[in-house]
Amino acid sequence: MKITVSINIGGWSFNIDEDAYSELKRYLKNLEIHFATEESSSEILSDIESRMAEIFRSRLTTYKQVISMDDVHHAISILGTPEDLSNEEGTSVRDKFASQGYHRIYRDPEHRIIGGVCAGMGSYWNIEPWIVRVIFFILAMMGGIGVLIYLILYIVLPEAKTTAQKIEMKGEPVNIHNITEAVKKEFDSVRKNMNL
Amino acid sequence: MDLENTKAQMRKGILEYCILSVLSRSSCYASDIIKELKEAKVIVVEGTLYPLLTRQKNAGLLSYRWEESQQGPPRKYYELTSEGREYLTDLDNSWNELVESVNLIRTR
Repeated sequence: MKITVSINIGGWSFNIDEDAYSELKRYLKNLEIHFATEESSSEILSDIESRMAEIFRSRLTTYKQVISMDDVHHAISILGTPEDLSNEEGTSVRDKFASQGYHRIYRDPEHRIIGGVCAGMGSYWNIEPWIVRVIFFILAMMGGIGVLIYLILYIVLPEAKTTAQKIEMKGEPVNIHNITEAVKKEFDSVRKNMNL
Repeated sequence: MDLENTKAQMRKGILEYCILSVLSRSSCYASDIIKELKEAKVIVVEGTLYPLLTRQKNAGLLSYRWEESQQGPPRKYYELTSEGREYLTDLDNSWNELVESVNLIRTR
């Protein structure tokens, strides 16, 4: 015995198993997040719901009157998970992260003077690159440590080539937490690359 | 290079063209468009279609009307606007040019 829930999808009323209902709710919520950046996301979602109602209806007979988990999975396989949609639209999960405010430091080839390190850091922390350059210059005057740091960063930081990377590069306000996080992230990725 | 991504990008461009082509023959319900696109293997999951239809409608290429259905709630019927027809003619030409260009390069 199972508890069923009564729901309205696309103007149709369905009885649906409780577990199938949670699965369906989770799926629709994920779709909502996926389409959140679209101009008419609510319209897209209601179109998808109408289609879902059609699929559900085709699964019901006189002898089967309740939507089960199987039916929900069937509908999801036809309509596609947010991951399927991203793959088919040619936007990788990485691009998605970028649009959701995932940030990394890159070298900025468009505004570079030497290797784009200062320009990249400037755009990451949303400060003028020349401030970063002055700091490096001062550090370079103090026994050359600035040159060394610059060289290391030049090797460590990847160049922002794709649009997604350029979005990721732009940024967060300066605070200690962000700076340590960013530096840690870069060193972690270097460690991974070197298989340490 | 990511092969899947490259393929997806190629499909993405022609998908919009295919939708307009399907609608150029007659006005259709979303499920009819989906059926044709699936048969032609240009889409795998149906969810891809809905944002495109909405975008094309917002761009004035398509319009829809609600049509009463025998079995349930009214359904959306999509059709090309005159602007959509012009757009499609342009795409037809550029598609022919593309095919020609690619063939020229591949058969050399």
